[in-house]
Amino acid sequence: MIEIRDLHKSFGPLEVLKGINLRLEHGKVLVIIGPSGSGKTTLLRCFNLLELPDQGILTVAGTEIRFAEKAKIPRKTVLGLRQKTGMVFQSYNLFPHMTALGNVMEGQITVQRRSREEARSRGLELLGKVGLSDKAEAYPHQLSGGQQQRVAIARAMAVEPEVLLFDEPTSALDPELVGEVLKVIRQLASEGMTMVIVTHEMKFAADVADLIVLMDQGFILEQGSPQQVLKQSQNPRVRQFLNRLSGDEQ
Amino acid sequence: MDDRKLQIFMDSLLPLFKAGVAYTIPLALVSFVLGLLLAVATALVRLSSWRIPELIARFYVWIIRGTPLLVQLFIIFYGLPSAGIVLDPFIAAVIGFTLSVGAYSSEIVRAAILSIPKGQWEAAYSVGMTRGQALRRIILPQAARVSVPPLANSFISLVKDTSLAAGITYVEMFRTAQQITATTYEPLLLYSEAALFYLLFCSVLSGLQNVLEKRFDRYTAR
Ligand SMILES: Nc1ncnc2c1ncn2[C@@H]1O[C@H](COP(=O)(O)OP(=O)(O)OP(=O)(O)O)[C@@H](O)[C@H]1O
Ligand SMILES: [Mg+2]
Repeated sequence: MIEIRDLHKSFGPLEVLKGINLRLEHGKVLVIIGPSGSGKTTLLRCFNLLELPDQGILTVAGTEIRFAEKAKIPRKTVLGLRQKTGMVFQSYNLFPHMTALGNVMEGQITVQRRSREEARSRGLELLGKVGLSDKAEAYPHQLSGGQQQRVAIARAMAVEPEVLLFDEPTSALDPELVGEVLKVIRQLASEGMTMVIVTHEMKFAADVADLIVLMDQGFILEQGSPQQVLKQSQNPRVRQFLNRLSGDEQ
Repeated sequence: MDDRKLQIFMDSLLPLFKAGVAYTIPLALVSFVLGLLLAVATALVRLSSWRIPELIARFYVWIIRGTPLLVQLFIIFYGLPSAGIVLDPFIAAVIGFTLSVGAYSSEIVRAAILSIPKGQWEAAYSVGMTRGQALRRIILPQAARVSVPPLANSFISLVKDTSLAAGITYVEMFRTAQQITATTYEPLLLYSEAALFYLLFCSVLSGLQNVLEKRFDRYTAR
C-alpha cells in the first residue's frame, strides 16, 4: 500500500531524513512518534510530495516514484499522487473564504470535476460523519478549533484518498477539544481507512496504531507493534524518549 | 458672490457634471479594469520562476514608476506620431493610465498574494489542485480581500489623475472647466467648481469601498 525505500531528504546542508525504510499494508494505521526536530513532519510531507525527497523510492497505492538528485518528477505524477492522499494539518488550514460545506466541496468540484449537487450531497454526508451537520453553512472563523479540525478531516476525505496523513492533528487544540477529534480518527481506523499519523498522544497512539515508528535524528530508531515499541523495546534511547514523555504527563 | 458669478456657477454645473460622468468616469473605469488585469498578470509573472518574463515585468514597473505620468501621456500622444503612430486622445489616455495602474497595482497584488499563509497553498495542493487552480480558487479570492483598501486608494487617485488627460486634448471634466474659463474669465470659480465635483466623485467611491469591504467581511473574524 505504502512503501518507502532508502528515503533521503536534506534542507541545504542539513540532512533531515537519512535513509528511511517503511511498509504499511492497506487498511492499517501507522503512527510516527519521536522527539522534536527528528524529521516526522518532513517524512509525512514526503508522502504527498509537499516536500520532494532527494533520493529513494516511494510507492503509494500502486504509484511508484523514484527520486534522484536533479531528476524532475512529472507534474501528472505529482497530481496523481496527491489525489490518492489526503492531509490534515496541525493548524487546520481551512479555506477561510468558504463555508464548512464549501471547504468539503471544493476539491470534489475543482479537482474531481463532480457536479455541484453530487459534491454537495457527499459533502453533507461527510460533515454528518464528523458530527457537524448543523455547521455546514458556518465559516471557519465561526467554528471552534476542534470543529475546524473535523471539517479539515472531512475535506481530506472528500476526494476519496487511499491514505490519510495527519500531522499532529490535536496539538493546536485546547485539551477539552482533543477528544472529539481523536474520536473521529478512531472511527476512521475502525472502518479500515489507511492512515499515517504523527502525534504526541501516546495513549491514543497505543490504541489506534497497527505499526509504530519512533524517529530520532532522521533515522527510524525502532518500529513494530505498539506493544513491541512502547513496552518491550530494550533500546536505551527509546526508553529515554518514552520516559520523558510519561514524565511530562504527570 | 455677485449675481453674474452665481449665474456662471449655476450654468456650469450641468456641463461639468456631464463631462465628469461621460468622460472622466469612463476613462477612469476602463483604465482601472484593464490596469488591474495587467497588474495581476505582472504580479504573477514576478512571482513565477520564468527568468526573462520576470525581468521584463520588473523593467516595466521600473520605467513606469520612475517617470512622471504627464510625461508618459505626452510621449504617447504627442511623441508617437513622429514614429507613425497616431492615437485618438481617449485611446492615448487609456493606454497611459492602464500602464500606470498596472505598474503600481502589481505591487499591491504581489504583496497581497505573498501575505496569504503558505498553509493555504499546501491545503490546496493536498486536495490535488494544480498551481493554477490553487491560485484561482484559493489564493486570489483571499488576496482580493486584502487588496481592496489599497486598490480603492489607487482608483481614487486615478479618478483625480484623469485630469492630466486635459493636457493631451481629451475633453474631460477639467478641460471642460478650462474651456468655460476661457469664455467667462472666472478661473477661481470654475476650477473650484471642478474641484468640488472631483471631491464628490471620490466621496462616492469611498462609500463604495466601505460597502465592498463589508461584503468581504462575512468570512473574516473580528
Ligand atoms: N523548510 C525547511 N527548511 C529548512 N529546514 C527545515 C525545513 N523544514 C524542517 N526543517 C528542519 O528539519 C528538521 C526536522 O524538522 P521536522 O519538522 O520534520 O521535525 P518534527 O519531527 O516534525 O518536529 P516537531 O515535533 O517539532 O514538529 C528540523 O531541524 C527543522 O528545523
Ligand atoms: Mg512536526
